[in-house]
Amino acid sequence: MLFSLRELVQWLGFATFEIFLHLLALLLFSVLLVLKVDGGGGGGAGLSWWKVFIPFFAADGLSTYFTTIVSVRLFQDGEKRLAVLRLFWILTILSLKFVFEMLLCQKLVEQTRELWYGLIMSPVFILLQLLMIRACRVN
Amino acid sequence: MRMSLAQRVLLTWLFTLLFLIMLVLKLDEKAPWNWFLIFIPVWIFDTILLVMLIVKMAGRCKSGYDPRNGSQNIKKKAWYLIAMLLKLAFCLALCAKLQQFTEMKLVYIFIPLWALLVGGMIELGYNIFYVRRD
Repeated sequence: MLFSLRELVQWLGFATFEIFLHLLALLLFSVLLVLKVDGGGGGGAGLSWWKVFIPFFAADGLSTYFTTIVSVRLFQDGEKRLAVLRLFWILTILSLKFVFEMLLCQKLVEQTRELWYGLIMSPVFILLQLLMIRACRVN
Repeated sequence: MRMSLAQRVLLTWLFTLLFLIMLVLKLDEKAPWNWFLIFIPVWIFDTILLVMLIVKMAGRCKSGYDPRNGSQNIKKKAWYLIAMLLKLAFCLALCAKLQQFTEMKLVYIFIPLWALLVGGMIELGYNIFYVRRD
């Protein structure tokens, strides 16, 4: 729409398959969220917030695994600089995403006032700045 | 005139940042605003995208345009238009629910988002499996 798939892949640094994986995780998460909130007497009422967030955690894990394999293959093919850069970038993005998900989940479980939403969102703000810098480089 | 990647990223980044700041202010109870006001950056961004899309589609009606070039393209543009409308429907329904204008169940609010995600995944899957095989 605003970006072509090629531009998205270049900008985010993720492979098309990884984008697909994260979209699938979002879809499953939204289904579990609806089950949890609308649950009533059904099976969704017993879901804890940690279980609702499982698709995101699984997608992060699979994406890390996929990136490690791609980086090892790149390293074996002699593209050492590209392999290290790709691994470093994806791990940074995934760790920031993971920290945000963990903090959000903890907030939803405990509802403590010490954990305010500005703090929870801080990894997302850092992520936005990193993406902006990368866009300038890719451009 | 086509915007460069940096311009498009800047546009997306600016509206996302504004929306997230307003969302954090609302969730931390620092700003007692209406949910529809919190979503203002989303409404503006969606309007810009819709206008750009409609202008591009209307370009086909110009005299001298050869329709044989873009039968695939118009299908893509139509899908993008539907996707935008689905996203808009989801955001509007979500705002109405959060503002307690309606007692609708969450499952009905999420239907447009699910349709959008499934459509997006089909398009991505086509790009991964079908185009690569070609």
